[in-house]
Amino acid sequence: MPLLEVKGLTKRFGGLVAVNNVDLSVEQGEIFAMIGPNGAGKTTLFNLVAGLYKPSSGQIFFNGRSVYPVRDFWSTYMPPLAAYYTVADAIRRGLGLGPMPLGLKTHAVTTLGVARTFQNIRLFSYMTALENVMVGEHARMHAQVWDALLRTPFARREERQVRERARELLRFVGLERYGEQYARNLPYGFQRRLEIARALATEPKLLMLDEPAAGFNPQEKAELMQLIKEIRSQGITVFLIEHDMKVVMEVSERIVVLDYGEKIAEGPPQKVRSDPRVIEAYLGKSA
Amino acid sequence: MKRPNARPPSRIIDRIRAFELRGLGAIGRGRNFPYLLLGIGLILFPILDPDSSHVNVAADAGHWILLALGLNIVVGYAGLLDLGYAAFFAIGSYAFAILASGQFNIHISFWVLLIASAFIAALFGVLLGAPTLRLRGDYLAIVTLGFGEIVPRVFRNASPITGGVNGIIGVDQPHLPPILGWNGNFGFNPVPYYYLILIILGVSIWLINNLRNSRLGRAWMAIREDEVAAAATGINTVTTKLLAFALGASFSGFAGTYYASKLFVVVPESFSFQAVSVVVLVMVVLGGMGNMRGVIVGAILIYFIQTYLLIQLPGWIDSAISALNIGFLTKLDISGYVQRSNYLIFGIILAGIMLLRPQGLIPSAQRKVELELGTSEEAVADLGSA
Repeated sequence: MPLLEVKGLTKRFGGLVAVNNVDLSVEQGEIFAMIGPNGAGKTTLFNLVAGLYKPSSGQIFFNGRSVYPVRDFWSTYMPPLAAYYTVADAIRRGLGLGPMPLGLKTHAVTTLGVARTFQNIRLFSYMTALENVMVGEHARMHAQVWDALLRTPFARREERQVRERARELLRFVGLERYGEQYARNLPYGFQRRLEIARALATEPKLLMLDEPAAGFNPQEKAELMQLIKEIRSQGITVFLIEHDMKVVMEVSERIVVLDYGEKIAEGPPQKVRSDPRVIEAYLGKSA
Repeated sequence: MKRPNARPPSRIIDRIRAFELRGLGAIGRGRNFPYLLLGIGLILFPILDPDSSHVNVAADAGHWILLALGLNIVVGYAGLLDLGYAAFFAIGSYAFAILASGQFNIHISFWVLLIASAFIAALFGVLLGAPTLRLRGDYLAIVTLGFGEIVPRVFRNASPITGGVNGIIGVDQPHLPPILGWNGNFGFNPVPYYYLILIILGVSIWLINNLRNSRLGRAWMAIREDEVAAAATGINTVTTKLLAFALGASFSGFAGTYYASKLFVVVPESFSFQAVSVVVLVMVVLGGMGNMRGVIVGAILIYFIQTYLLIQLPGWIDSAISALNIGFLTKLDISGYVQRSNYLIFGIILAGIMLLRPQGLIPSAQRKVELELGTSEEAVADLGSA
């Protein structure tokens, strides 16, 4: 069973079809890359999987669980409204509109084990690097409001553990010396790595990296590839968007190519590189 | 030539200083020492200053500090601009006044209601916060402004319950069992109120400080910084924002209960936008958003300007003019002008302070970085030697 499975996923923004009927599956433990020209719908697909956007149609499964649509949404989140949902769902189906389109909220997807970084880095600027990583552990913490208010022994113990783990993660990405610095004061390359550390702090099964090598020099790219391989060796599946062909070809085991929102190729790097449709999408059709 | 044993003198001083700090650590762990002194000073204040009107002013200032600390949770930590904070203060006050007065002849103990009205205010914090969850920035400010206007109006018009424009008069006052020759009745004596608000403030500061350094506090700050990234990092933005509204409101519930029982009356006019919401917001922003010490200093300063400086100013001008004894000045009625343009002078003072210290009196580290350090390159250059 694949870790992430996307079936017939479509997203329309008004008249624009950003993602058009895409099927793909990411297997447990692999490094899976998504490439394509600018505007091909790669980031939109990430946002759909992460629950930031609602799909226009299609299905998303993660780890054997339906992330979109969520059939048991109301009975899970608001039991009193389950009856309303059942009726509305029946009406929609009767009218041929398909089931009620309800998906998991972004934070719920993260809690299931999907973590991501952003194409344009989105750190918490005025929090320290350490605090940024500690925020990442939020979903795995159990301190309730009362623990927070009264600083119970449980909350204190948990805070200590979380801080320790955050330090470990900073060490893992090579930022252990910068824990007390504000995220916005870190150089660009460090900010990218800090974002990865924050994503790893959510204890993900699937790590989605949106152009992690953008703006990197060759040495930084080499370090990044090393880091990605280390992350995978810890049993975390990596799903990345990347423009840099060298990085993609070296690090990934399988590649999917999007163009104008549609999947045009999928397979191992060598096969994709020589695919005529991919060459056409990148270089244009010869006259 | 370098002598091996020569040490720069500063290091010796550092050592002596370190030793001193260890010595003081037995009392207050060095850096806490000034706070310890301040605490002792505050406890002894009513004994050292026999003028009970001063104690009364200090006791009144206390509930403003409490309001400012509560709003700081919503505005400073979670970054939600709330212009309707007066609503929660009004709800706290009326909750106490209705349940502890002759209005319905219900007389529940002050101590029970102090906690209960915090819960009631928190509940309304959730109710009023829920519709605003999708809003940000200016739009959130407009909606909360509306709530801040609606709630006192509801209290003014629901006369059968709230006494309408006349409000509720004869609110119960706290009682304690008699101790040390004191009969335990608070009455109109400001001294027990002073100690009460001191204790409430101490507990509140402890609680808010705990919140700030907790899982929840970090989640608030993450939402303030970037809501999308916060959600993608596993923070439930809905419940986290609602908790900010609820906990922020609960401290105004404390303040409302205290205020109502100390003033003995509750009238809708005391919860207007310009009387509470704006003043408290000014305290928070001027003191230093997100920094508790700054907010406390801001609250004291604004309270002092409003209740002392602006009221005394015309008198001072009068006496200065009569001392100068210049004929045409006495005919001009300057003090009358000053008295009538109270708000203008208040505004000028505020504008002046904000021009001099845009980051607030004691800024949070965040605002300091933003306004003082400027570009990131300098700060990173510092790292090299670290």
